[in-house]
Amino acid sequence: MSTLTSVPLDVIKPARGRLGAPSARLVDHLLAGIPTLWLALFFLAPLGFTVVFSFGRNIFGGVELAFTLDNYRTALSGFYGATFIRTIIFAASASALCLAVAYPVAYFIARHTSRHRVLAIVLILIPYFSSFLIRVMSLHMLMSRDGFAEAVLNVLNLHSGPLDVLDTQTAVFIGMVYAYLPIAIVPLYVVLDRIPRPLLEASRDLGASRLETFLFVTLPMSRPGIATAVLLTAVPMLGEMVIPKLLGGSRGVLMGQALSSQYLQSQNYPLGSAMAVLILLAIAVIVAGLARLTKGFAEVGQ
Amino acid sequence: MVDRSSPPKSLLSRRTMLGLLGAAPATAALSAAFPGSLRANAAGTGQLNIYSWPDYFSADNLATYAKKSGVTPNITTYDSNETLFAKLNSPAGAGFDIVIPSSSWIKQLADKGLLAELDHTRLNLASLDQDLLDRDYDRGNKYSIPKDWGLLGVVYDPEATGGEIKTWEDFFKAGERPEVSGKIRLSDSGWETIGTELWLQGKDWNTATVEEIKAAGERLKSFAKHVKSFSGLDPNAVANGSIVMAQTNQGTARAAIGLNPKLKWSVPGPFSELWVDNYAIPKNAPNVDQAYDFLSFMLQPDVQLAETKYVGFPAAVAGLREKIGADTPNADLIFGGKDLDFKKLTSFVVNPETIGTYLQVQTEIQAAAG
Amino acid sequence: MSISTASRGQWGQRATDWGLFLWYVAAIVFLFGPIFAALVYSFNLGVVNKQTATITGWTLKWYPAAWNDLSLRRAVQTSLVLAFWSALISIIIGSALGYALVRHPSQIARKVLAGLTYVLLIVPETVIGVSLLLAYAVTRIPLGMATLVAGITPMAIAVVALIVRARVLTLDRRVEEAAADLGSSRLKTLWFIILPQIAPAVAAGGIMAYTFSFDNLVVSAFLTTPQVNTLPVYLYGSLQYGPSPAVYAAAAVVFVFTLLMLGIAALLYRLARRSGAAMTIA
Repeated sequence: MSTLTSVPLDVIKPARGRLGAPSARLVDHLLAGIPTLWLALFFLAPLGFTVVFSFGRNIFGGVELAFTLDNYRTALSGFYGATFIRTIIFAASASALCLAVAYPVAYFIARHTSRHRVLAIVLILIPYFSSFLIRVMSLHMLMSRDGFAEAVLNVLNLHSGPLDVLDTQTAVFIGMVYAYLPIAIVPLYVVLDRIPRPLLEASRDLGASRLETFLFVTLPMSRPGIATAVLLTAVPMLGEMVIPKLLGGSRGVLMGQALSSQYLQSQNYPLGSAMAVLILLAIAVIVAGLARLTKGFAEVGQ
Repeated sequence: MVDRSSPPKSLLSRRTMLGLLGAAPATAALSAAFPGSLRANAAGTGQLNIYSWPDYFSADNLATYAKKSGVTPNITTYDSNETLFAKLNSPAGAGFDIVIPSSSWIKQLADKGLLAELDHTRLNLASLDQDLLDRDYDRGNKYSIPKDWGLLGVVYDPEATGGEIKTWEDFFKAGERPEVSGKIRLSDSGWETIGTELWLQGKDWNTATVEEIKAAGERLKSFAKHVKSFSGLDPNAVANGSIVMAQTNQGTARAAIGLNPKLKWSVPGPFSELWVDNYAIPKNAPNVDQAYDFLSFMLQPDVQLAETKYVGFPAAVAGLREKIGADTPNADLIFGGKDLDFKKLTSFVVNPETIGTYLQVQTEIQAAAG
Repeated sequence: MSISTASRGQWGQRATDWGLFLWYVAAIVFLFGPIFAALVYSFNLGVVNKQTATITGWTLKWYPAAWNDLSLRRAVQTSLVLAFWSALISIIIGSALGYALVRHPSQIARKVLAGLTYVLLIVPETVIGVSLLLAYAVTRIPLGMATLVAGITPMAIAVVALIVRARVLTLDRRVEEAAADLGSSRLKTLWFIILPQIAPAVAAGGIMAYTFSFDNLVVSAFLTTPQVNTLPVYLYGSLQYGPSPAVYAAAAVVFVFTLLMLGIAALLYRLARRSGAAMTIA
């Protein structure tokens, strides 16, 4: 796990063609071909249906094939357009908050542990081995009135009286940070760990303070890790449904809920498909932007 | 999704799709690699597949049935009627013998040809509560027989609301009080929120037009700022006062009142909802005989009594209320209170023309609360 | 630099170090809190068979209750089987993909594979779930464990591929070339030289794929059938009317079981490494 990388996938140095024997080439083609075939069958082909259906007409719980842009028009109309923008702002801020919490943790593991490093990482990952839903349900109970968080905050004098954090935006953000923290820590850790120590020592020797070294050396060099962490947290956050429902009282609908309710409640598959295609396009644009942002730093520590 | 009853010409033909995908052989090969995984259509006896809400049958009753018949019911669970509909309307629905749709979705399931007509000669319907039979969502109970039922009502703290909630108007008025505002739970189902205003306007939620639904929704949208939650109600949240007024069913209300006796329950007027969860047999169910055998077992009065105590909602057999012992706390609440008037109750029937509007407006209400 | 600023700098450094340490500890407490709570709540009496935030009394009855709830038990079983197959397939295909992403001779092929991996990462699960259900509906392929595994694996493959790829990036190409020059076939090189080096990454990927598949809710919700229902789908359904404490008991058992298996795996790995080292010395 400690090696999840953050280098954009398409900027790898070209391989030198020395392993060109026919049998070797066959092996290479198999190694690339089998995954491609599997993903084409079980991922791309079904995705194709969504694209086709997004141009179709709705018959309650079914689709009549056609070529109409009505679904896209509805999906982009006032209400859903606003929901979409709100969702992006929400995912961006939740992801930023998650990163802000994760960065010091990753920094601590990379710089201040040596003998116990494996333990430090394993402790971060262990929560992953219990059911996500159960953990969020427990978080709900911990945060409820008369719950454990209320008791602790009262004892510590950080809060007095009943705690009414459940069913608020704050609770949703706490839940998001909780759920995605490990995913953000790991890529940050990998990049921080790769920054050569002599580089930092050189910076200190040249008279930079710790803060300056961090701001002008460490932080810029960890940009690929930040980009990966944003990618791995913000994208699933765009579609997150469970946390807003369990901790946020289902107020202020996000795109994930709007999308799945088209499929599961209205039984309007064409409109749901059109929304899905639009979400995909938007994410692709964001990811392309992120990749561009990190390109110059791709070769860090290789 | 394919409408099974219609000729496939409106869709890409199946063969083209297969050719396009080449997926069938791959999946077939794959399923050969997982023996026992694809026996959904294996016919014959010795099996019973039920699709239901989680934890919706008394474990003791299921064990008794397994001992009696030698067949252990295999229960798969869903989270909403909509999921049930989507599943039955797809290949994933093949292989179920009994499903438990709510009154609201029976008509749509039947219209889509997804349910089998019931053979009444094989079931004893005479013992059931006649108030629950022959209702407008399934005249003559062609496709469904009631399993248990519940109500849309309000559980509230009378100190906060400053009085009783007798009508939905009282509910809206109470919601504006500073003690109540921001501590309200509304249903996440569009017809249960918008329906209240439709009833106040003297309209029927099953015949309301798209415009009427949207107009009624406006009141809910402006009310939304007082609402704290649309999620499933935790009885604890009402008991400890983080929510002081909530739309909910009588089962959750009973749990809350069990925790905090000063809370009150009411079924506001002029109308409110009666929902009935029903047994139904899907078309092409593989084990029909087993299904009827199970249903006859479930309809026995003592089994129904045990179900009621376990599930917390009243089963459909007549005269249950008298049979519930004094050892059951707040037994009256199981039946929605002492003086429940069935004439003031109405059941929602999903209509493809308006359901999209109900859901759309509900989404807007929830967004307005954010 | 004067002495006073140096000592102030040192003091500042120590404060920062302590701050970082406390931050880490707080994160661990935050991450473990709900798990610990779930264990505690599995012994809570609850109200009318429902879980409550206040502890209403202590009981052990939810453990046998969870065992006796057949649909819950089967859901746990199915989830375990699903996670196993999904992890196995993802390890094989994901490792191949991870390797090909770095070492495939054609740059175009590498770009296509990279694009594919990106798309895997960004497609919302709801979209995948619905697309799969629609696809199976149109092709009339019957659903079961196989289709569920096939539906979950693409995302698990991406996870494995990313981890393996990162490891392959750090491998020295010259070793492979030397092996080829010495007459080792490509397949042999892969098996005897590459695989041992990337094994830890493959294992890590496999574990991630396992937990990912075990926990998957959205895609599973679309693809479950009478025979194949998973634990997350069961849990999500029970939220509507409030979950029973029995689901907490089931989750606690699964968690402890998983940790035990991981502990054993780690132990075996250590033993194997140690005996391997001993053999080299001998």
